[in-house]
Amino acid sequence: MGLIRVVLADDHPIWRSGVRADLGPAFEVVAEASTAPEAIAAIIAAAPDLVVCDLHMPGGGGIAVARACAGQTRIVMLTVSEAERDLLDAVAAGAVGYLTKSTPPDQLRQGLLRAARGEPVFSPALASLVLGEFRRLAKASGGAQPISTREREVLQLVARGHSYREIGAELFISDKTVENHVRNILGKLHLTRKQELIRYALEHGIE
Amino acid sequence: MQRSVLRGMAVFRAVAWVLMAGLVAISRHQLVRPWPTLGLLGLALAITVVLWVWERTAPERLLRPGVLAVELACGVTLVVSDGWVFGPGHAFSTAPALGVAWPLAAVLSVGLAAGPRPGLAAGILVGAARVVATLLNGVHMHTITGNPLVSLATTTVLYTMAGGVAGYVSRLLVRAEEEIAAARARQDVTRTLHDGVLQTLAVVERRTDDPELAALARRQEQELRDYLFGLEAAHQGSARRRGGTDPGTTDRVTLVSGLRQAARRFEEVFPIPVEILVAPDVPALSSPVAVALCAALGEALTNAGKHAAASRITVYCEPDDGPETPGGGAPGRIFLSVKDDGVGFDPSTVPEGIGLSRSIRGRLDEVGGRVEITSRPGAGTEVRLWA
Repeated sequence: MGLIRVVLADDHPIWRSGVRADLGPAFEVVAEASTAPEAIAAIIAAAPDLVVCDLHMPGGGGIAVARACAGQTRIVMLTVSEAERDLLDAVAAGAVGYLTKSTPPDQLRQGLLRAARGEPVFSPALASLVLGEFRRLAKASGGAQPISTREREVLQLVARGHSYREIGAELFISDKTVENHVRNILGKLHLTRKQELIRYALEHGIE
Repeated sequence: MQRSVLRGMAVFRAVAWVLMAGLVAISRHQLVRPWPTLGLLGLALAITVVLWVWERTAPERLLRPGVLAVELACGVTLVVSDGWVFGPGHAFSTAPALGVAWPLAAVLSVGLAAGPRPGLAAGILVGAARVVATLLNGVHMHTITGNPLVSLATTTVLYTMAGGVAGYVSRLLVRAEEEIAAARARQDVTRTLHDGVLQTLAVVERRTDDPELAALARRQEQELRDYLFGLEAAHQGSARRRGGTDPGTTDRVTLVSGLRQAARRFEEVFPIPVEILVAPDVPALSSPVAVALCAALGEALTNAGKHAAASRITVYCEPDDGPETPGGGAPGRIFLSVKDDGVGFDPSTVPEGIGLSRSIRGRLDEVGGRVEITSRPGAGTEVRLWA
């Protein structure tokens, strides 16, 4: 794999320079942006392998970027907030992962390398948030579980800070299978959010 | 909001004046004192125009007691004069001309500007003026019975109610406006701190080579986050309490902030960052359980700091209420896990594990909690608690 071509989007210049410095020699920053529209334009122009994007930016933030560009490239959300529902929206909109800004540089690099290969980057914080969301959905639908027991186990182990390798060892499955579970979980989150929107629209007579 | 009410009043006053002038024109044949009537109409017009202009240029003047007094005095004069300028018998005819809508504007103005009590008083005053007008019109006190009495009383009650209601509504408006402004200010502060200070602290934390500075930045970031979180939760809590339901928020805050405090105390001693994740639906806890969980977390962290050689510790807390949760599920209970990425140990050979589980068990016994410790050499250690 050659250099990973990255678009950096964050409205704080100091953050962009910090992340750029942390990326190291395996990445090449091809464009930077400080608003969502700028980021979308840069992604269309540069066709990067990876987008590192702040959740909160002028012009719609990371959610707007994920909605517009998730089909063309891999988007990782980078943010200081770890407990916000709009983060779920960003992930449901198609971001492959989410990392907190306090992630140490080597882990950030690892995570972004994995994201660039198309693997879901799922931090404990995000797993915790997604678990809470599925619990909420289960309660709302009267107990019907939106995810399988195995998927829930995987999700909880991620939330508890286990690596994919540790999870594989714990559940006697391969790393690849863990990864597939995570991908399925993201797919279901995407789906349930969409269904919820549709249901909401029908109930409120919006077409 | 109050501004638009004042604008509405200015329009109301103008319309009321036109109505009054029209009624006077129609019933001009009954006038016994036409010139004073014209004078009063002129006075009311002057006040209407001046207040209209002030509403455009200096709306704050409309709220001054002096201005309100002049308006009210004019209104009262109009009502009283109604019985004086018209010929006898006018008082209970169908069209009292001077004392209709314009004085009502004065009552509403007082209520809007000064509140419900002055509004009520102004209403009573104008109502009383109506009685004086009736007497001036040549009606004797003892003859006011039956329908005329009901009519007089009704007018007085209506004026009084109008003043009181206007005052009450305006009070509500002002309060709503203040609450909206306060909420907006709170949101602004949170956003600003969130986007600015928290970001900067995170940058410092990551980019500095000085472990003490990094630890300080991390601590400050946590404290600020706790503060912001507490601010939100406390506000929501108080809003809910006013609604009269669910006092659980403060308990949740106690548990969350207790866990964070335990982590902070640990980070002051050991240079290992602790990430705390609390599911948004962690239920309210009776405080002995919260205290026990926080103490157990402290024990688990200290043990990890001393023995694990970890680079990172993850603390995860969620409700333990589903059949699929590791505890088997029990409504209202909490699951807490403390996982490090350190060297781990072999539980069958290392007595440490036994000592750890004993010290944690001691914390949980009282509240009926339990603990499990899993570890493998090279794969970190995880302490799982149910309480």
